[in-house]
Amino acid sequence: MEAVWDIQKIQDTLPQKYPFLFVDRVIAINEEEKSITCLKEVSINDYFFQGHFPGNPVMPGVIIIEALAQASILLYAALRPVEAGKKPDYFLGKVDAKFFSPVRVGDQLMLEVKAEKLLSKGGIVTAEAKVDGETVTSARIVFGVKPRE
Amino acid sequence: MSDFDTIKKEVRALVSDITEVPEEELTDEATFTDDLGIDSMMALEIVASIEKKFKVVIPEEKIPTITSLGNVFLLLEELLGK
Repeated sequence: MEAVWDIQKIQDTLPQKYPFLFVDRVIAINEEEKSITCLKEVSINDYFFQGHFPGNPVMPGVIIIEALAQASILLYAALRPVEAGKKPDYFLGKVDAKFFSPVRVGDQLMLEVKAEKLLSKGGIVTAEAKVDGETVTSARIVFGVKPRE
Repeated sequence: MSDFDTIKKEVRALVSDITEVPEEELTDEATFTDDLGIDSMMALEIVASIEKKFKVVIPEEKIPTITSLGNVFLLLEELLGK
């Protein structure tokens, strides 16, 4: 899969850094549909597998939500580059989510996010995480964007 | 009941649903932030829901004017040309 944004650009854009960075590549950005597709390679080296769970590595649902939220920030940065260029703080307002099946080591987690509404001070997106084309998590995320003082 | 009264009723129900403020407390004059404890994230949801339900686009510069249900009605009246 060709990356439209590589890890360098992702690191430059997201305030989250290793080991709390859960997007490896941006696969596609569709400005007309206001959507983004990102990839997270789920690896045994991901720090949370040390404890979740020993001998039975399952990606925590909250981390899947965090990965979708990070993909949402990348979508926001792609569609609102002026605001995002000022390196604001992003914060979660509300998350409605459903989890369908576990995500395990070796899975390619596709993060698909579509904007419902984006404003200078926040946004609402619908997001899906998929493995092999199957939806493992779906969520609607409301987030805020606040300039740094 | 006029068309716009029906719309008002629908908006009140929608705002109540998002904010979990009972409809009877949602008077036209009560201010969202001070009287009702509605935060900016809820306001964003209210805007998105109204846009979806009534197929209108609320311009970003109008959003700060939405400080009470009465103001929502005024804005919607303007956008729907009622």
